[in-house]
Amino acid sequence: MSRVVVTGLGLVTALGSGVEKSWRGFLNGIDTASKVTLFDTSLYKTHYACEIKNFVDETGFGSDKQNNYVNKFVYSAVKEALDSCGLQDSHAYDRDRFGIALGTLAAEIVPFERLLKEDLSMKTNGFDANVVSVYPPNSITNYLSEVFDLTGPSMVSLNACSSGNHAISWAYDMISCGNADVMVVGGSETINITEYTHFHNVKALAPEKCRPFDKDRAGLLIGEGAGILILESLDFAIKRNADIYAELKGVGLSCDGFHMTAPHPEGEGAVNAMKDAMLTANLSVEDIDYISAHGTGTPLNDKSESLAIHTVFKERAKKIPCSSVKSMIGHSMGAASAIESVVSCLAIRNNVVPPTINFATIDPECEIDCVPNTAREVKVRNVINNSFAFGGNNAVLIFGEM
Amino acid sequence: MKKRVVVTGIGVVSPMGIGVKNFWENLLDGKSGIKPIEGFDTSEYKSKLGAEILDFGPEEFIGKKGLRYLNSGTKFLSSATKMALSDSSFPENDEELFNQTGLIVGSSLGNFAETTDYFYDIIRKGPAELSPMKSYDVALNSSINHASVSFTTKAFARTISAGFTSSADAIGNAFNMIQDGRAKAVVAGGVEHLSIDLYMIFYLRNQLSVSNGGSVEASIPFDKRRNGFVLGEGSYLLLLEEYDHAKERGVPVYCEVVGYGTTLGANSTFTTDRKIKKAEAAMSLAVKDAGADLKDVHFISANANSSVELDMIEAKAIKNLFSCVDKSVPIVNAIKSSVGECYGAAGAAQTVGAAMSLKTGNIPPVINFQEEDPLCNLKLAVDGTAKHSGEFAMINSFDYLGNNSSLLLKKAE
Repeated sequence: MSRVVVTGLGLVTALGSGVEKSWRGFLNGIDTASKVTLFDTSLYKTHYACEIKNFVDETGFGSDKQNNYVNKFVYSAVKEALDSCGLQDSHAYDRDRFGIALGTLAAEIVPFERLLKEDLSMKTNGFDANVVSVYPPNSITNYLSEVFDLTGPSMVSLNACSSGNHAISWAYDMISCGNADVMVVGGSETINITEYTHFHNVKALAPEKCRPFDKDRAGLLIGEGAGILILESLDFAIKRNADIYAELKGVGLSCDGFHMTAPHPEGEGAVNAMKDAMLTANLSVEDIDYISAHGTGTPLNDKSESLAIHTVFKERAKKIPCSSVKSMIGHSMGAASAIESVVSCLAIRNNVVPPTINFATIDPECEIDCVPNTAREVKVRNVINNSFAFGGNNAVLIFGEM
Repeated sequence: MKKRVVVTGIGVVSPMGIGVKNFWENLLDGKSGIKPIEGFDTSEYKSKLGAEILDFGPEEFIGKKGLRYLNSGTKFLSSATKMALSDSSFPENDEELFNQTGLIVGSSLGNFAETTDYFYDIIRKGPAELSPMKSYDVALNSSINHASVSFTTKAFARTISAGFTSSADAIGNAFNMIQDGRAKAVVAGGVEHLSIDLYMIFYLRNQLSVSNGGSVEASIPFDKRRNGFVLGEGSYLLLLEEYDHAKERGVPVYCEVVGYGTTLGANSTFTTDRKIKKAEAAMSLAVKDAGADLKDVHFISANANSSVELDMIEAKAIKNLFSCVDKSVPIVNAIKSSVGECYGAAGAAQTVGAAMSLKTGNIPPVINFQEEDPLCNLKLAVDGTAKHSGEFAMINSFDYLGNNSSLLLKKAE
């Protein structure tokens, strides 16, 4: 079994495009929540989201045809990640050993919504070709495979809010089993009316601020963006003398098997996934220095996640920094756990962990150290990155120093 | 040491019958599930045929409770899950075992019409007018969530969307997960259900039979008259189980899963030759993965869906790959002639068929085949009398966008 390492990162978040800008924003605790501008929310009870504004496309990508297949965020993040690790040149290696795995919740639904909204009669009279041009979801990976010459294994993971980590764990298996040398992995999402309404109608949206683990938390805010990692087999990375951010040491999957939308009250599935990840990583609770929480800011999630952390980490639960960057960039759905995987690698590289912002009041039901409001310098050897989803669909990753 | 993986249960909801027994008998008899579409109005369009599931009663499998809130795809999937578990006599009260049992489902466009309906209603009526239950079963993966919640497959639940190879990839992934000791058993396969919205995706791309002209509307893989595919629907699931575990339980085994290979080709820019090479690569990776020898593969369940280009690519890939083998070339069948192209669920449908072929030695015919195409001259099973006594069966699952996945099954000991 090959060991799997991370050698390249790409990020587009509401804090900025590029790893540099986003990371600085995370450490400075910048809140990106504001009133939704992408569509009219006057018929909704809540009006805030974390939109990416003034996105500067520095990749030269952007004709209309391309935009129908794949959003600029993921394109830009993939390009940054490949460029940053020196794998952009498609002729240098056997690209049949390079694959791609991406997570998303709603795929490229935005152009579909835009066109259908312009002419709603299409729903009853028949779509036109433009409307459906973004489907099926594997159009995304196939397009990126074509542009970046990635012709090995591929998949799109549609596992709601844990899609990104699912995609990464699938790619991990592909490399560790020897089916690929390099995998471009991560997640991508754009804010869309369908999911905004979905979260709104299940009463998951916060009125204005997202405040994970706070006693007065009132829900999540949806966000958007892309997080991309380049995974390689350790041998391949060493051979080409790559700069290694971290090792992907453990993967833990589980399913609550409990409810279509609510998490298990004691976080049973979350406990199993965290334990499973530590088992595959061959690490104990003493080895974990940071938890990148799922931390959506909904009353139910944060409570059950805190309980799960206590079950797994016991007396150490209150001592490990455990923050949620969703407090700053919102919940970017299928991209969220991938973005948080990038954050995990950056925390290991820089020995600093991002804060949970908007934190004011301790909740006795969330007895964890959420790194309130200010980033913290701390030695980070290993990070657990939690992601949970509707249906109790859990995927937990452990990244660690080499 | 990698674990061995066997198939101990099968669940089928298909236009060719409910349950593996009905499905198999009809398939072997050369029956067709393809008829004029009844579920939606095609009068405005040239393509009229589909392989629909009509009059399916899920109550028998998943009870009546909450049924009215579920989409067809969810009913198909949860019912097929129940069938697969029952078929393998899976101990449904064994909590510890279910903690080690997962669910991996391939779906390319699950709940697509429900998602567009939802959006349509948001714009037309406003968010407040949508019933909360409407939010319940609208995502592509909500069918999988329903099945995982209903049957408490607690090891994991995963949805793979890789276009037409989705369910072959789901089975390949499940195979790897059990090999690596990450689960004792995995229910794996695919689900799709038809709707006018979904039909339009393929119709507007001129992919359906006669949508872009042609002499006859039909699903006729490898036939010179072919001019596009006919859509199908359903859910096909296999219970993959760790070999020792199945042995301990003493349950009958359909076959062993031994190899999986997958590649991605950028089909809009690749030359035909390069596309053929990528298809070949998937097949040879699967054989290599199994540690098997190409010359021992005597039967292939082809992807062939009646597409002009993709059938030709597959035929040439098979020819090229096996031309170096001195033994007789493999027998090829194409069950999409009977069950239609059920895209995200297709690879699983073929896997069910291939598992039954290994078990019984019979190969269902490629029906309605008339005119040989010199570009696709394979040894086709056309008359229903073909037999197979070899050790292996290969399943090809290809996507027009360029995904290629192959699985290799082995006869049970």
